[in-house]
Amino acid sequence: MIAAVAGDGLLSPANCTLGVTALAKQQMNTMPDPTAGVSDAALLVAFARGDAQAARDLTARLLPRVLAQATRMLTNQAEAEDVAQEAMIRLWKIAPDWQQGHAQVSTWLYRVVANLCTDRLRKRRGSVSLDQIAEPEDSTPNAATRIQTQTRLRALSDALAQLPERQAEAVALRHLEGLSNPEIAQIMDISVRSVESLTARGKRALVDILAGRKAELGYEDD
Amino acid sequence: MTDPKDDMLDDLFAEARALSPQPSDALVARVLADARPPERAITSAQTGIFTRLLDVIGGWPAAGGLVAATLAGVWIGVAPPASVEDFTATLLGDQVAVGFFDTDIAFDMETLADG
Repeated sequence: MIAAVAGDGLLSPANCTLGVTALAKQQMNTMPDPTAGVSDAALLVAFARGDAQAARDLTARLLPRVLAQATRMLTNQAEAEDVAQEAMIRLWKIAPDWQQGHAQVSTWLYRVVANLCTDRLRKRRGSVSLDQIAEPEDSTPNAATRIQTQTRLRALSDALAQLPERQAEAVALRHLEGLSNPEIAQIMDISVRSVESLTARGKRALVDILAGRKAELGYEDD
Repeated sequence: MTDPKDDMLDDLFAEARALSPQPSDALVARVLADARPPERAITSAQTGIFTRLLDVIGGWPAAGGLVAATLAGVWIGVAPPASVEDFTATLLGDQVAVGFFDTDIAFDMETLADG
């Protein structure tokens, strides 16, 4: 249904196309990945030993997913990029201490990005909502659809900001990232039962928060 | 606890999941610029035992003070001021001689050489 979200500071169609550096683009699209059989952890250890190519490989491999997770939670391109950069900085910093076999890099990154996003959402509480800001002029075809989508996703992100942080993280990992409850339990370091409880309570709270905005968001009120 | 069903919310989740932005060239450049070799790895590889000892005693200022105190001690030993001489005379006697070598060694060596 949705292809992209337009507007200042939000996702634009141009930004939803491939636009990585030439090197990363080559690695992702045209050239076979020479590190295909190498684990993220092994690349991280190689980076810690000073292998610059390992950093490029890790960036090409992990940054798209990190950025996507941040974008889905925050619905704001600039904020999502800042979070993605910060998460990668933390990855570089932890590299010398990384113990292979102890944890998966992807699991660790999910947790870091989720925490960074909930920090941003917490700061967003009480600030001016997007729907209080005048919409920019958009004369492109399907502009109305894009603005409507933008408004909906921002409403979801703002509603997530209203939840307790653990609930917001669990709901985002379950329903925005599509992870299983055991995976979320590992990421959040809690039991599967706790994940089920957090996601159910979080989703119920979102329903309540968004209930009064159905018509505004283009849905028929029940 | 059951998962509540809500068509609008499920629709919003689906819309959000469909977002798959690709990193811009600028973001990739920013991330790679941050990807410097860990500082600790560099410093631990480059610092030798002397630098680590220096860190233990408190760096160059502390080392300078230590050297100055050592030199002052040696100088006082070689050419003691009158006040120090008076003090040692009072404490240990009028004249104190400290020999580092046994003066009989030369004699003994001669005796040994003679057989």
